[in-house]
Amino acid sequence: MPFGYHGNYLRIDVSSGRAERVPLSDTVLRQYLGGSGLGARLLLDEGGATTDPLSPEAPLIFAFSPLVGSPLTTSAKFAVVSRSPLTERFNDSLASSGFAIAGKRTGSDAILIVGRAADWSVLVIDDGDVRLEPADDVLGDPCQVAEEKLRARLGADYRIASIGPAGERAVRYATISHDGRHAGRGGSGAVLGSKRIKAIAVRGTKYCEWAHPRELTELSRDLSKRSFGPATAKYRELGTATNLLTFNRFGTLPTRNFQTGTFDEAPSISPEQLRVEHARTRASCVACTIGCEHIYSLGNGKVRLEYESLFALGSLCGVSDGAAVLRASQRCDELGIDTISTGGSIAFAMECVERGSLDEPWLTFGSGDAVFKAIELIGQREGVGAILAEGSRKAAQIIGQGSIAFAPQVKGLEIPGYEPRALQTMALGFAVGARGADHNRSGAYDVDFSDKVDRRNATLDSVRHAIDTEDRAALMDSLILCKFLRGVFTDFQAETAGMLHAVTGWDVTADELRDTARRIISAKRQVNLLAGWTPDEDTLPERFLDAPLPNDPAATLTRERLHQLVAEYHRQRGW
Amino acid sequence: MYVEFLGIPRERAGISELEVDAATLGQLLRTLATRCPGLGALMTADALHPSIAANLNGDAFVSDPATPLAEGDRLLILSADAGG
Repeated sequence: MPFGYHGNYLRIDVSSGRAERVPLSDTVLRQYLGGSGLGARLLLDEGGATTDPLSPEAPLIFAFSPLVGSPLTTSAKFAVVSRSPLTERFNDSLASSGFAIAGKRTGSDAILIVGRAADWSVLVIDDGDVRLEPADDVLGDPCQVAEEKLRARLGADYRIASIGPAGERAVRYATISHDGRHAGRGGSGAVLGSKRIKAIAVRGTKYCEWAHPRELTELSRDLSKRSFGPATAKYRELGTATNLLTFNRFGTLPTRNFQTGTFDEAPSISPEQLRVEHARTRASCVACTIGCEHIYSLGNGKVRLEYESLFALGSLCGVSDGAAVLRASQRCDELGIDTISTGGSIAFAMECVERGSLDEPWLTFGSGDAVFKAIELIGQREGVGAILAEGSRKAAQIIGQGSIAFAPQVKGLEIPGYEPRALQTMALGFAVGARGADHNRSGAYDVDFSDKVDRRNATLDSVRHAIDTEDRAALMDSLILCKFLRGVFTDFQAETAGMLHAVTGWDVTADELRDTARRIISAKRQVNLLAGWTPDEDTLPERFLDAPLPNDPAATLTRERLHQLVAEYHRQRGW
Repeated sequence: MYVEFLGIPRERAGISELEVDAATLGQLLRTLATRCPGLGALMTADALHPSIAANLNGDAFVSDPATPLAEGDRLLILSADAGG
């Protein structure tokens, strides 16, 4: 097997308790690398594209990578891959920190879980030993509470990935959490919950060797040094929440279910204001030199706040109370639900109430109490929460009355904090994304915030830029390196080819990595084709088409233009 | 004309807005280097660090030092990395 890998994945059937190490060829590893790429390959090989995501047969994959365990900064990450119960399309979500390193040290490049345990269980993987233990004492617990209890029970050297109460109740956008971070989008927590697995505990002693350790050490030192520079200053010093005022200034801050792109009260929920009212500290993942996590005190607790949570539970719901946004974000973390889908589903419901198509008069824009109550109902699957727990697309199908026109989703995945009409390269990225509306698998917003395009008037030139960002994201999610590092690279493919060579010994080139990225994107597409994707899915909701953005009349995306962009995207992809 | 600072540039400048006289982008950046020394690491003589972007009036992003500026223009200086 190549350096940097174990050369197998651990396949566990939690129905029978049987576990086996399945060989992975050098070819597959070189072609798909790890993380999202390897996960996509395994999902295809195991027939996961056509199984019901919440059925026992559905595979759930935790994929590591050759860089995990290396001294390269931000490399302690893992991908969780499955078919999404929210979109029924391909889903990969990433999380960070010690679980990646400990998981790889159990002796496998990926862990694949099928089946359904007879009772709620904790899956324990201790080097080569796999067993199920009862989960009675942690059932119903928030993720972090469960994690602490399990480490007390099993040992502090274990690392835990768990679901919250929402995952136990199959909320369609439930997360898998480790150490306060979430594999957030697409509902992987519901998939794990459908297997009656509350948590996975890993520890191991199996290290991988590196092909060129000295070279790797030098490259790591250089990367770490660059990671302290201006290219990462925003994340380190302000956090992603600083996007809020910038986007508001540009009129691209989604407000009140994407009714407009500016929020008059944005300053009151900005990080600049939050840090006046709430003490703030910073933290970082294991093996990360950036330290992007900005954590605010809230009562007796703390909450990490990112831009996406701030917009989704703030401006998107019309909420101008900073403490309310922090409280809502904290509760999402405790329940284990994706904040973007939560905020999007709630904002959608608020508009339905506003229009008279949903009889929940308490659920109004601007009410932080309403947001919190809705989150509780979603987590419990009670009342209107039972509908919203299905996501905004399904909720619109249930509510009817034309509400699908303003359900803020693509392929069922709620749209993140970028107004598509005013960021039209991003709009394309949302429309064509394999897992749905996604700012992480497409970095097209970077293009819109540059002199490469006119963000309000995307042309066919925008397409290749969107493709470039998608390819780079696919590589970063498969190598795995954090996207917050992307600004430090001058030639991303060439530099990471060097890192991969130092770890694996492969004579990989930049061109090979470009081909690898395209192969990974194609694998995701293959999953979607098998899962029933049709061309009409690559679009945006009616709200975003033809009518101008109210706060910015120049920001108009016609249906015809979007269709041209999508068609050109498919043509350039060779599909 | 006015310069608006957002994100890291605002942190470095210590202010959110500044009135400036400048006929070109290059001239403006040279003025900023003097009036806001905290921005020093974010720019060279008349160019911005790649991690910083400049936008004119909320419309086009600009980088050419020869870009003309007019009275009444607002130049937004922000972190180039818009991601979250």
